[in-house]
Amino acid sequence: MFSLIIANLKMMVRNKQALFWSMVFPIIFTVIFGFFFGSGTMNLGTVELVNKSNSKISASLEKVLKEQSDIFKIEEQPSVDKAKDQINKGKAGAAVVIPENFGANTPDAATKITILTDPGAAQTASAVEGVVGGFLTSTNYQVTGIQPVFSFETEAANSSSSGFNYFDFVLVGLIGMAMMNSAVQGLAISISRYREDQILKRITTTPLPGWKFIVAEVIAQLIENIVQIGLIIFVGVQFFHAHVGHVVPLLIISLVAALLFQLVGFFIAAVTKNSDAAEGMATAITIPMMFLSGVFFPIDSLPKWLYNIVQILPLSPLLKMMRSVSLLGGSVLDNLIHVWIVLGWIVVMLLLTIWRFRLSDE
Amino acid sequence: MLLLLNVLNMEKVIEVKNLVKEYGALTAVKGTSFDVYKGEIFGLLGENGAGKTTSLEIIEGLRPATSGSIKVLSHVMPKELREIKRKIGVQLQSSAYYNHLKLSEILALFAKFYNVEVNPIELLKIVHLESKKDAFVSQLSGGQKQRFSIVASLVNDPEIVFLDEPTTGLDPVARRNLWGLIKEIRERGKTVILTTHYMEEAEILCDRIAIMDQGRIIAYDKTNNLIKKADYPYSVSFESDKDENKIIKALIDFGKLSQPGKKNHYVLKMKDSGKLGKVIDVVKTFAPIGLAIRPASLEDVFIELTGRTIENSL
Repeated sequence: MFSLIIANLKMMVRNKQALFWSMVFPIIFTVIFGFFFGSGTMNLGTVELVNKSNSKISASLEKVLKEQSDIFKIEEQPSVDKAKDQINKGKAGAAVVIPENFGANTPDAATKITILTDPGAAQTASAVEGVVGGFLTSTNYQVTGIQPVFSFETEAANSSSSGFNYFDFVLVGLIGMAMMNSAVQGLAISISRYREDQILKRITTTPLPGWKFIVAEVIAQLIENIVQIGLIIFVGVQFFHAHVGHVVPLLIISLVAALLFQLVGFFIAAVTKNSDAAEGMATAITIPMMFLSGVFFPIDSLPKWLYNIVQILPLSPLLKMMRSVSLLGGSVLDNLIHVWIVLGWIVVMLLLTIWRFRLSDE
Repeated sequence: MLLLLNVLNMEKVIEVKNLVKEYGALTAVKGTSFDVYKGEIFGLLGENGAGKTTSLEIIEGLRPATSGSIKVLSHVMPKELREIKRKIGVQLQSSAYYNHLKLSEILALFAKFYNVEVNPIELLKIVHLESKKDAFVSQLSGGQKQRFSIVASLVNDPEIVFLDEPTTGLDPVARRNLWGLIKEIRERGKTVILTTHYMEEAEILCDRIAIMDQGRIIAYDKTNNLIKKADYPYSVSFESDKDENKIIKALIDFGKLSQPGKKNHYVLKMKDSGKLGKVIDVVKTFAPIGLAIRPASLEDVFIELTGRTIENSL
C-alpha cells in the first residue's frame, strides 16, 4: 500500500492540469487578495484635492487629508474641471474642493466644502466624507468654543482577534476552498478517469484488496492537502503579512474538511458515467459553495432565508470552525451545531458512497 | 488412439460447466461448457457480442455468473477467487494503464499488488520495450501498448494468461509480432486463453478452439479437426471473362459455385477431392486468370456453421 501511495503522489506531481487546480489556483487567489487587502491596509485609491483657499483652516484640512495615506492617496489639482476629468477617467474615486477664502477671517468668507463623488467608488466617497466631516465637526467646536460631551472609541469584540483583518479572514476561507476543490474535483475526475481507462477493472484482476486501493488514494490526497495548506499560509504570511493564529487546530479541521469532500468526490465518481460528467457535476457542486459558504465574505450578512439554507452546506460550518479556532482562539465545541452539521454530512456521504461506489462494473 | 490417450492425460487448468450469464432480459451466455488444458493456446472465436469477453471476464472473476460452475487450477470460483487471482494474469480488452507513471514504475507497482518483486527491465525485454522503460503509456504506438499490456499481465509469473482480443486494431505487421510473443509465452510453460474475431489468427495460433455464436458454443475441437470437418474441404477459385451462363452450367454439378466478389470471380467449393483433376480441365477451357486450389480454412467452417461471415456482421 505504501508503494501505491508513493505512486499516487508521483502521478499528482506529474499531472500538470490537476497540479494547477490544486496548487496554483488557490495561490493565485491568495496573491490577488493579498495585493488588495494584505498588510492590513484598505487602499481606496486616489482622491483629488482642489484647494483655492490659503486660510489656516484650509491648510490644516489639507494636512489631515494627506495624513490618511493608508486609506487613500491625495493628488492636488489646480482646477475643479481637472479634478472632475480625473474622476471621469477613472483615475480617482473622489475629489475635495475647498473654495476661495474658505475659513478666512472675513464676514463674507466661504463656509462650504464640495465633495465630488463617483457612484462606482462609494467606499472612497464615504471614507472622504468621514474624514472631512470629522475635521469640520471638531473645527466647528473650536470656533464656537463648545466642549464636546459625547465621544466613542472602537475595540475588537474578542480580545484575541485584535490584529486580524479581512485578508486573514479570507486566507482561512481560501484554505477551505482549496480543500474542497482538490478533494471534490481531484478525486471525482481522477477516479472516473481510472474507470474509463479500465484501470479500476485491471486492479480488480489482482489480489489487491479494494480497501487498500481506496485508503492509498485518501492518504495521498491528504498529503497533498497538507502541502496546499502550507503553501497558502506561507505565501499569505511571507508576502502579505497575514496572521493565522493557531495553526495546528486549523490544520486538523482542514483535514476533516478534506476527508468529507473526498467522500463527495468518490460519490460523484460513482454516480457519473464518465470523467466529463464527473467534472461537470464537481464544478456544479463546488462553485456555488465557493460563493455561498463564506469563503470571501461572512454569510451572516446574507438575507435570513438564504442564510438558513447556506449555513447547512458542508463548507459553511467548516469555515466557521476553522476561523473560530485559528483567528479567535476558540474551540470547536463552542458552537456544537457546526460539529453536528459536519458529522451529519460525513455520515450521509459515507453511507451514499458505500452504497454506490464500486471498483468493478458489476 | 495414442492421441486420445494424450488428451485424457492432459491436465485441465480451466473447467467450465453450463455457464449462464443474464443481464435482465438479455442472456449473454447460454449454458456453455468447455475445458482448457495445461500448456495449450485456447481460443474463444466469434463475432462481437457472441459472449466471448463476458465468458472470459466471468472466469477471471470480474463478473459473477448467473449459474454454472467454474474451476480454475482446481480452485472453485468464486469461493477461492483470491487464490485464483494470484495464479492468473489478465490483459483486458483495450485496457489502458496509469497515464502518469513510467512503464517500469507500472510494472513494479502491479508486482507489489501480488506482493512480489520484479525486475521491470527484464520483463520489458520479453516484449522488446526495454528502451521505453521511462516512457509513459501515452507515448507508445498501438502495437507497443498491446505488448506492454501483455507483459503487465506476466508480473506475477502466472500459470494461465488471459488475453482479450490482443490484436484488435493492430496493423498486419504488429499483429504478426504479437503472435510471436503469444507463442513465446506458451513456450515459457504457461497456458494461454484468448478471444479473437480474426479467423486467420485463431487458425494459426490456437491449438483448440471454441466457436461462440449468440451466447452458445457451436463448435469445440482441435483447430485442424474443425477444418477437417468442413462440408467442403477444397475450393477452386479463378477469374474469367467468358460467358457467365456457360461457366455456371459447366461447373454447377461439381459442388457449390458462388461469385463472392467481382462479377467475373468464381469460387467452387468441393466435397470430393477425386474430381479435382476433372474440374481443373473444365476451368482451363474458360481461359482462367489466377486459378487457385486451396484447402478449406477456419473461415469456411465458420461460414458453414453460422451462415454468415464475421466481416459482414461487424
